[in-house]
Amino acid sequence: MTGTVFDIGYQRYGGGREGRKRSRMAVYKDGFRTALGFGRGGRAKVLPWLFIAILIVIATVMALIAGAADRLGGPGAAERMNLPSHSDYYGIASVILFVFAAVVGPELLCPDRRNGVINLYLVRPLTGGDYIASRWAAFLTVMTAAACLPQIILFLGLSMGDPDPLLYLQNHWLDIPRFLLAGLAVAAYATGLALLAASFTTRRAYASVFLVGLFVISAPFTVGMAEELPGNAGAWMSMFNLSNIPVHVNDIIFGEVSEATEDAPARALGPTVLTAWYLLWTLGPMAILWARYRKLTP
Amino acid sequence: MRPMTTPGGAALLAVDHVTKRYGKLTALDDISFAITDGITGILGENGAGKSTIIKILLGLLKPTSGTAKVLGENAYDNATVRGRVGYMPEHDCLPTRVSAAEFLTHMAEVSGLPPSQARTRAADTLRHVGLFEERYRAIGGYSTGMKQRVKLCQALVHDPAFVFLDEPTAGLDPMGREEMLGLIRKTHRDFGISVLFSSHLMADVERTCDRIIVLRGGQLVHAGDVAQFTKETETVFIEVDSHREQLVAALERRGIVVTAEGGGMTIEGPDETVYDHVRDALVEAAAPLRRMAPRRRELTELFEREAS
Repeated sequence: MTGTVFDIGYQRYGGGREGRKRSRMAVYKDGFRTALGFGRGGRAKVLPWLFIAILIVIATVMALIAGAADRLGGPGAAERMNLPSHSDYYGIASVILFVFAAVVGPELLCPDRRNGVINLYLVRPLTGGDYIASRWAAFLTVMTAAACLPQIILFLGLSMGDPDPLLYLQNHWLDIPRFLLAGLAVAAYATGLALLAASFTTRRAYASVFLVGLFVISAPFTVGMAEELPGNAGAWMSMFNLSNIPVHVNDIIFGEVSEATEDAPARALGPTVLTAWYLLWTLGPMAILWARYRKLTP
Repeated sequence: MRPMTTPGGAALLAVDHVTKRYGKLTALDDISFAITDGITGILGENGAGKSTIIKILLGLLKPTSGTAKVLGENAYDNATVRGRVGYMPEHDCLPTRVSAAEFLTHMAEVSGLPPSQARTRAADTLRHVGLFEERYRAIGGYSTGMKQRVKLCQALVHDPAFVFLDEPTAGLDPMGREEMLGLIRKTHRDFGISVLFSSHLMADVERTCDRIIVLRGGQLVHAGDVAQFTKETETVFIEVDSHREQLVAALERRGIVVTAEGGGMTIEGPDETVYDHVRDALVEAAAPLRRMAPRRRELTELFEREAS
């Protein structure tokens, strides 16, 4: 039996066209894949997965220490010893999350403008606002996953390490919505700042160095200045410690004070001011991003 | 101005008294034309307004006055219509680290196609432009000609009704340019997709297009069939070894207008009888012919002539 191959030539497309909804979804999906290096070479995967691994290792070590304390000191020993738990995780890991955002976030915007791919997006059924909203949502998803996955592992570890896992679940189930909400708060804050910095340059490295510098320098600078300034001025200066802004919100969500913020003078300003300050630093970058991309043309 | 529509045919693109101003600068000045099926070239020097009119038709710029419709819809008010047109920009627009297959699948999805259809369309389109074997290589490793074909592919991957090509032969060597012009002809002839392509090279437009739009300084100076335009702008160049003055006199006695040019002479707007007259004049003047060839005027030359 022999077969014949026919070239049927060019075929017109008669299937469905799903318009802007599909366009936005495609940009979102591409942003998600880009952030994690999917569909790219091995080098593109190294940095995001290295940071995710570090974040998971921190949570795993915390769970192992608590488990060991419970085994050695009996049920509830970890809590009695006040070992770090869910409310402390973002205080410990926020710097790594911010560096992750600084290194990975610009990859979603900078190459599109440097290579000119943005021009191809804007001539499709997509507006500049659609593009930036989809990219923001994609990176927020990645950041939220990076922030919450270690907390889930920590929760599982603490449950399994407890001599009575069911009792632990009964007593601590409220930690789940708290760490998910706190994770979302940290992720939204880091996403906005990372993408805003990326929108001002076509070079990913410039944006990353600027952001890492901002987070690294703001902590010692504001702590030093806050100590020098009297009264409320010191508290307000302490508000500019960019690493602590979402950690204050984390404290409000858990109703506890984490180790990272216990000495921060900003706490004196109260939860309303701290929440408003967080919203300004989260919604402000989003609004600027939106304004910059909304009227963008090739 | 004669609209470029076929009898009874609805216009795919319709530009009606469009003016575009940037502050005091007028980029387009009361332009009107309509385009139906086929390949249309938009010709003009740098700054003539070619890219501006394409951006208006893509709905990326709002005209200061007038209307521009694509497939019957105002593209500026309706981004969805851009899912039915394609655009190939002049400048670089390709990512370097992803494969052509991955990139085109993504672009098809961004144009509104469902993911499974997007993958099939990407592979098919790459096959039609001769990049099927190379589809899993990163685009950064492609030659200039291959990148230009990927640029064309991304404009075609969602099977548009109309495609805009902005200077598609820019930066290509002669062989790459031939291949690109061949692909543009194939896009209409075999794929059934109408084309509007801008260029500042008259030869490219003449060899590829059915119709032509000529812009100069934001104004429409010509819109019509390429054959007619070619006829109007053709010249014949003649060079003889001696008896040049006698030949000029013999030609002028036959009512032919001759312009001296370098060592030879040029006959403007030749018709079908001109070669017989030249033959007779050469015999009469006993001038030994060295060279005689039809020639096209360069675009700049045409504009200078028109201005003078």
